[in-house]
Amino acid sequence: MALINSRTSNKPPASISQRARETSPHTLGQNSTQRVMALVIMATVPALVAQTIFFGWGTLINVIWCSLIAMGCEALVMTLRKRPVSFYLKDYSALVTGLLLGLALPPFAPFWISLVAVSFAMIIAKHLYGGLGQNPFNPAMVGYVLVLISFPQEMTSWLPPLGVEGYNNSLSDALFTIFPFGQGIEVDAISTATVLDVMRENKSLTMDELWAANPVFDGFAGRGWMWVNLAYLAGGVFLIWRKVFTWHAPVGMLAAIAVMAFLFWGGTGSDSHGSPVFHLLSGATMLGAFFIITDPVSGATSNRGRLIFGAGVGIMVYVIRAWGGYPDGVAFATLLMNMAAPTIDYYTQPRTYGHNKANKGLPGKD
Amino acid sequence: MTNNTDTAAATSTTALLAKIAKDGLWKNNPALVQLLGLCPLLGVSSSVVNALGLGIATMLVVMGSNIAVSLIRHQVTDAIRLPVFVMIIASFTTCIELLMQAYTYELYRILGIFIPLIVTNCIILGRADAFASRNSVLPAAFDGFMMGSGFAVILLLLGAMRELIGQGTLFSGMDLLLGPIAADWTITVFPNYKQFLFAILPPGAFVFMGFLIAIKNIIDRRMEERNKQRQPTEPKESRRVRVTGNI
Amino acid sequence: MSDDQIPLKDATQNSASVKNAVFTSIIRNSFGLGLFAVFTVGLISITWILTQEKIQTQVRAYEARALMEILPQKTHDNVLVDSKTTLEPSRLLSSQTTTEAYVALNNGEVSAVILPVIAPDGYNGRIDLLVGIKRDGSLAGVRAVTHKETPGLGDKINTNVSDWILSFAGKSLNQPTAEGWSVKKDGGDFDQFTGATITPRAVVAAVHRALTYFETHQKHLLNPRNIQQHSISEEPSHDQ
Repeated sequence: MALINSRTSNKPPASISQRARETSPHTLGQNSTQRVMALVIMATVPALVAQTIFFGWGTLINVIWCSLIAMGCEALVMTLRKRPVSFYLKDYSALVTGLLLGLALPPFAPFWISLVAVSFAMIIAKHLYGGLGQNPFNPAMVGYVLVLISFPQEMTSWLPPLGVEGYNNSLSDALFTIFPFGQGIEVDAISTATVLDVMRENKSLTMDELWAANPVFDGFAGRGWMWVNLAYLAGGVFLIWRKVFTWHAPVGMLAAIAVMAFLFWGGTGSDSHGSPVFHLLSGATMLGAFFIITDPVSGATSNRGRLIFGAGVGIMVYVIRAWGGYPDGVAFATLLMNMAAPTIDYYTQPRTYGHNKANKGLPGKD
Repeated sequence: MTNNTDTAAATSTTALLAKIAKDGLWKNNPALVQLLGLCPLLGVSSSVVNALGLGIATMLVVMGSNIAVSLIRHQVTDAIRLPVFVMIIASFTTCIELLMQAYTYELYRILGIFIPLIVTNCIILGRADAFASRNSVLPAAFDGFMMGSGFAVILLLLGAMRELIGQGTLFSGMDLLLGPIAADWTITVFPNYKQFLFAILPPGAFVFMGFLIAIKNIIDRRMEERNKQRQPTEPKESRRVRVTGNI
Repeated sequence: MSDDQIPLKDATQNSASVKNAVFTSIIRNSFGLGLFAVFTVGLISITWILTQEKIQTQVRAYEARALMEILPQKTHDNVLVDSKTTLEPSRLLSSQTTTEAYVALNNGEVSAVILPVIAPDGYNGRIDLLVGIKRDGSLAGVRAVTHKETPGLGDKINTNVSDWILSFAGKSLNQPTAEGWSVKKDGGDFDQFTGATITPRAVVAAVHRALTYFETHQKHLLNPRNIQQHSISEEPSHDQ
């Protein structure tokens, strides 16, 4: 995932004299791709820790494995394209794609799922479109959607979180379930539905009964899920504070989810879709809001555009969760809005300095 | 307007037929170059048997409509040209649909809406208007056959790729089309294969189609380079101009 | 030629002949078009006449094949496709209009029925089922006819994907008991598939309702006089 303007990232470093001939804006010095990516990696640490605590070592193993594949793919493609391999590996953008996919995959997803997802993300979704800065779709989400629709059984097998019977935090179990070279566990036997899944399937229980009957519910949202989401939120706020991205896209998405959830809440009866807080702290909401849709390459570019882009993602996430065919919809919503990003940009072009009106809308009109 | 083409066709029939074959199968392939008929191409190519069924059906309709259009080309005025072509194509499609219902009923049920949708396949109206209405019956029939084959071959390739990667088999269910003799034609290439649903679902079709087009472009470029190397000192005037999409 | 070079007077004088020419052209073209319509309709009619009989047998054979999977030929001596009885709309079958059940006869006695049942609460909408019930109230078999369940998860109700749906054969309203008529996750006797609970839950519930329907409507269903013969020809068909 590229979290920086393509202009600075897509070519090897130029000398100052070369740079002087480029058009503005120049982002010199500090804001290199490498620095930004390093900040993003740092910001995911709280969530990585939370997810490892609540869902077992699988997450950590997945993150490492996915990152290795991502770097391997990047090196492979760069060699094929006859570009300097180490220069591109050092910008960490491949590492971030792998890292985010590792965080998004179910903890005990077998190794070949990660392999398919990451290599598709890197080779097809990123490099076949021209590499960093050129990809119209968010590579990590393309990889995720690919394995989600191809292997729905493995991709919906989440393990019971900490505090629920069946919770498994043995390192060797996790390792040998992901890489079947030893005695792993039968994921089918202990996997449970996530809270979003249960909420979607629920037809008979009221919210109070649901919370009482199913141990995966706890607090405002799911057991563990709430803390994982709060950890992503903390990482996201850190990134906004360090000016890695602006607040517009995340706020747009979170506000849209909250508004949608409020409008279609349905109370606490059995036909409830869950409270706004439940939706904000469940599934991949915060991961999506701060680490996925903030990708400047596949998202909108102006601040107003980002707000609209985020809101679009939020609305679609909720629509998919409440009425769609999958329990969560962050990946699908992101890809759908990626498609709309150029149109959003077209209609939200900022006013050029010195001109009275922005160049937007259909050309030829005054 | 058609007389000139007719006499020209009569004088160099073989050269014309060779050009038609090359156009249909490679240079102007309806699926890979003209990108026509993408809806059935992507919708139906999930297995070899589906692809073959629709490929043959489409080929028969193109051939039939090309022959019919060529036969009546002097009788039809310009004003009613298109409605007449559409009527001819629609009636051939309906006939094919009835025949498939009668002889390959299960395949008919699987292909479903895509059989009547052959009517809307742009290849057919395109060939009727661009070629059959300006040429005599033999070249028109041959053009229909070659364009249909070009489409069917790509359908088959896509079907084979998607079935192989999606299910790990080839030629499964061929008995739906060819009757009981084909019942055990299924080749299990990867035993105990875990279904890769992406390849069977429509998005996979787009990706594989993209790969096929890319492969064709690579081969074209290689051939062009080789031709250039072979005749490096050829005078500028006679250098081949690359023309796409024209007869 | 261009019109603006013709003097105005000539144009008005010519207007009658222009009108005539337009009319002739319209009439000629309409006739042409009509003629082609006749030709093409003729072509389709001929094909239709030639294939009609074959299509009829194919449709019946297809329908029969599905029914035969549930009730093999040796269990009855009538033509299943032709022996139907009309069912009033029922909540138990989730049917909103009248539907038709197939009736199997053996020596003049109803040996089994096949009910069309809808499971309205599948993961992606309704699932159409055929439920075969023997005279004694035990299940002869269940098949899913149409559904939109997720490929790779819910489509395990298809026999070509999984054997799951075959496990209904032999079960009845009391075997297992009412509590057992649910998936294992809900404390019942039926396996769910890995990764999917909703689909099997919907199917199990629908089959259970069908059995209840059979019990309450036994008299109507088991009376051979309620059968309407739907033979397409006067003679008994040979292809069965």
